[in-house]
Formats: sequence, structure tokens, C-alpha cells
Amino acid sequence: MKIFKFFITKIFLRKMIFSIGMFLLFFMANYTIFTTARLILSTFQGYQEIKIMDQEGTYIANLDPDSNIDMDAIVENGTQKVYDYLNNNFKYAFYTDGFIASLPNNDDMEISFSYMNEEYYKLNQFELSQGTDLNFDYQFNKDKEIPILVGKGLSKTYPVGSTIKIEVPVLEQSMTLKVQGVLKQNAYHSNFYALNSKTYYNFSVFLPVNQEFIEHANIDLQLNGLMDIVILQTTKEKVANLSEIMQDNLGLKFNFFSQKENYDYFNEYYLHSLKIMSIITLILIVIITCLSVWNALVSIRLILKDFTINLLVGLSYSKLKKIFYSYFGILFFINLIVIFLITAYSRYGNWLRKDATFVTYGFFALIGMDWFALLVVFLSDIIIGMIIIEIMLRKIKKIPISLGVLQ
Amino acid sequence: MGRSLFRFVDRFELCIAYLFCFSLNLIFDYVKTLSLDSYILKAFMENFMDHQTLIIFLFTFIVVVFHYQMLHRKKTEIYCRILVGDTILNITILYTLECLMILGFVYLLSIVISIYLNFNLTSNLYLVFIFVIYILISAIQVRKYENF
Repeated sequence: MKIFKFFITKIFLRKMIFSIGMFLLFFMANYTIFTTARLILSTFQGYQEIKIMDQEGTYIANLDPDSNIDMDAIVENGTQKVYDYLNNNFKYAFYTDGFIASLPNNDDMEISFSYMNEEYYKLNQFELSQGTDLNFDYQFNKDKEIPILVGKGLSKTYPVGSTIKIEVPVLEQSMTLKVQGVLKQNAYHSNFYALNSKTYYNFSVFLPVNQEFIEHANIDLQLNGLMDIVILQTTKEKVANLSEIMQDNLGLKFNFFSQKENYDYFNEYYLHSLKIMSIITLILIVIITCLSVWNALVSIRLILKDFTINLLVGLSYSKLKKIFYSYFGILFFINLIVIFLITAYSRYGNWLRKDATFVTYGFFALIGMDWFALLVVFLSDIIIGMIIIEIMLRKIKKIPISLGVLQ
Repeated sequence: MGRSLFRFVDRFELCIAYLFCFSLNLIFDYVKTLSLDSYILKAFMENFMDHQTLIIFLFTFIVVVFHYQMLHRKKTEIYCRILVGDTILNITILYTLECLMILGFVYLLSIVISIYLNFNLTSNLYLVFIFVIYILISAIQVRKYENF
């Protein structure tokens, strides 16, 4: 310990510039690896989520990019006709979210309402931390209570069994909602078309919808629900007919993609992008490692004398190796702390901005994917550190002690 | 140039350090011009593009490391030159001029690349300003080695 302290204070920190240079280079490497690892994991989480939709006979709706939405031309009667056709001919998973409402809560967050039907709920199998699953066969009546699920953030203000009287955004009328369960913390939903992008349900309300509910809802819910509607146990011909019905009644062209088409899309679009990202990251890491090696070697040039004097008076190469590993270990540790703090600041920023859809729970608001990315950074630091230390030691060993002392 | 503190390896190293920083800045500019279809690639790139100036600035630290180690290695040479009649002012001026020449050469090279790729010619200018400051600071440091 004494010799290590001596090396740190009298040798490494005496030439502070090299330590700072090394620290900055490691920081760049760590930031790059952290960013890539988190993005890849987030994409795969999103892929796992949509994979449950990828069953035989399942078709996911997608508004044709060339189709412009003219809200004035779309009437409620038109959307209702589409739903009538859907109800009579198909089994479908309905989901839409992002309807904001002011619901008093301890954290002063704006609450996002998510609406889903039974098929969607069954497909996703949301995990609950308290309470029981939603039931969808309730009577739609102003005097009756609608069962709901709430996110963890609302569980203190609205525990299981409590009721909320609120003007439901899409019904434009006051309803009584009864909390039936609480979602597990950090439950999320990935965007179908940007798998790495997530919405967290910590400050959300899950409202079950049935045919009656959709009939009473305004056009916003009806239309939004059609955008990502998932048709189950059907055929290509049937969804082609549905697409025509939608075109006739809404004036919008919808495409329906099958399991295989979605899988091909994933392979072509996501895997290709992930490969490019991985290659860019690898190139950056190689460049940064080369720069770190250069930085290490020029520092060796200047502090070689100190090393060789110590070797002359009895310091062994194995002890020197241990000192190097400890020194680099400290640098990597500080770097990990910095990355951790930046991530915590970014996550905590969502709390400060009251950004309810991105707010997360965890140690300093960090979630699983952050810890995974930090672990990847830690492992890659070990590899980078080993490469640099071995090159440094090789360089020191190549120079005879007598020559080193003379320098 | 016979009295220069620089050897071929030093010039080469400094050229590479400058070239790396200028190239990195040009790569950032190039990525900005790309119209990426992939949302995920865009999201990945944004992590870096949003902090372009900071990232480039941090990388310029390799030039600081170069100047620092260069002068440290040459302290005996500086002292010996003074012993044989050279002056610290001459050594400082020559060192500064040579650094500026290398910087000018690499900057010209980056301008040629910018013209070829149809990029904004002024995008690398702030780096020149930063590097000139580094050169001036390191030139002041030469005086430190007047006495061995």
C-alpha cells in the first residue's frame, strides 16, 4: 500500500497531464460503449415486446406514409362504421395512449391515460405489484365504476380499492374509476416503429375498453386506436377487405403487416442499423485504445527513470504490474462513477421536468438497462486496461535498467 | 530547421494529433449532412452530435499531452543549446513557428478535404484557435527549461 501510494502521488500525479489525458480518453471510450450497449439492449427489449404480436395470422396496422390525415374529413360515424366492421368480423387488440389528464398526485405529475381492450391486455400480460387483473366486461354506465390499473407513482395517492372521480379525457364526461391493481415499477411500452424508444407507465392509468366504451368515446380515441390496431387470427384477404373499408370510411390508406413481414423488416432495418452501430463503436474503441496506448507510452518515456530506479532498488515486475492494475483500476472506477452520475442526472432530469412518460424508479432513478450498460462498460474497461498495461510493461522490460536510470 | 527541437517522429506525431482532431470534426459535419432513414441510427448519432464541440474539445487534449511531453523530453537539449550560445527567445520563436507551420499545413489539408466534400470551410476554424492557444501556452513553458 505504501509503495502504491508513493507511485500514485510521486510518479503518476507528478505528471498530471498524462493522468488527465488517460482519464479523458477512457471517458470517451466508456461513454461510447455505454451509449451503444444501452441502445442495443433497449432495442432488443422492444423487439421482445413486439414479438408477442408476431403470431401466425396476426396483422399490425400501419398508416401509409403517403396518406395524409384530414381531420375535418373524418367523421365519428365513419370511425364507428370501421369499428362495427371490426367487431363483426375480427378479433383485434386495441391500444392507444398519451391522453393527458390532470389527476392530483404526490409528485405533481400530469397523468397519461392508456386505453386497451382485453385482447391487447392478454397479449401483453402486464405484471402487477398489487391488486388483481383488469376485467373488461363491466357495464358502461355513468353510475358504475370502471376498474383501472395505476402505475407505481400513483399507488400511494390512489391505493388499490380507492376510487377516482374524473372527467375521462376521451369520453368528455365524468366517470368513477376504481383502482383494481398497481403495475410493477418501470413497466414500459416500446414504440412499434422505434423499438429503442420507450414510454414508462409509472404515472399512467390503464383503462380497459370494450365495444360499448369505444362507441361512447370521442373521435380522437377511435382514430388513434386504429393507427396501431392488431388484427388477430385472420388472413391476408380479410385484412385487405378491412383496409378497403377503412379507406372508404376514413379516406386513409392503412397497410397491414404480417408476422413474417415484420420479422423481415426487423432483420433488414434494425439488425442492419445495430450492425452499423456496433462497427462504429468498435472503430471508435480501437482508435481510443490506440490513443490511450500512445498516451501511456509517452508517459513511460518521461517517468521511465522513476520506474527503473525503483526496479533497481528491489521493486519486482510483478509488483509493478499490480501497481499499474491498481492505478488503472482507480481511473476506470472514477470514470464509471462519472458515467453513473451523468446517467443519474439525465434520469433525474425527467423527475425535475415532470416528464411523466419517462420518469423511472430505481437507485438514483437508474433502471435495469442502465446497470447492464454499466456492466458492459466495466467489462470492456478490464479488456482495454489489460491491453494498455501489458504494452506498458513490455516497453519498460525492453529497456535495460541501467539505461533507464541514466535517462 | 537544423536548430529545430523537432525530429521527424515529433513532427509526425503532432501532424497525426492535429489531423485526428480536424478529421473528427469533419466526420461530425459529414454525419450531419447524411439523411439517415434509420431512427435507431439517428438516435445513436444524436448521442454524439449533441455534444460535438465538447467531444472534439476533450480530444484536443491529446495535443496538450504532445506539447507537454515534447518539452519535457527536450529540456536537456534546450539547456545545452543555451550553453553553446543559443538564446531562449530564439528557441521559443523557432518552436512556436514550427508548431504553427505544422498546424497551418494540417489545416490547409483539412480545407482541401472540406472543399472536396463541399463542407463549410470555417467549421474547423475554432480548432485552429484552440491549437494556437495551446502552442502559445507551451511556448511560454519553454522558458522553464532555461536553467537545468
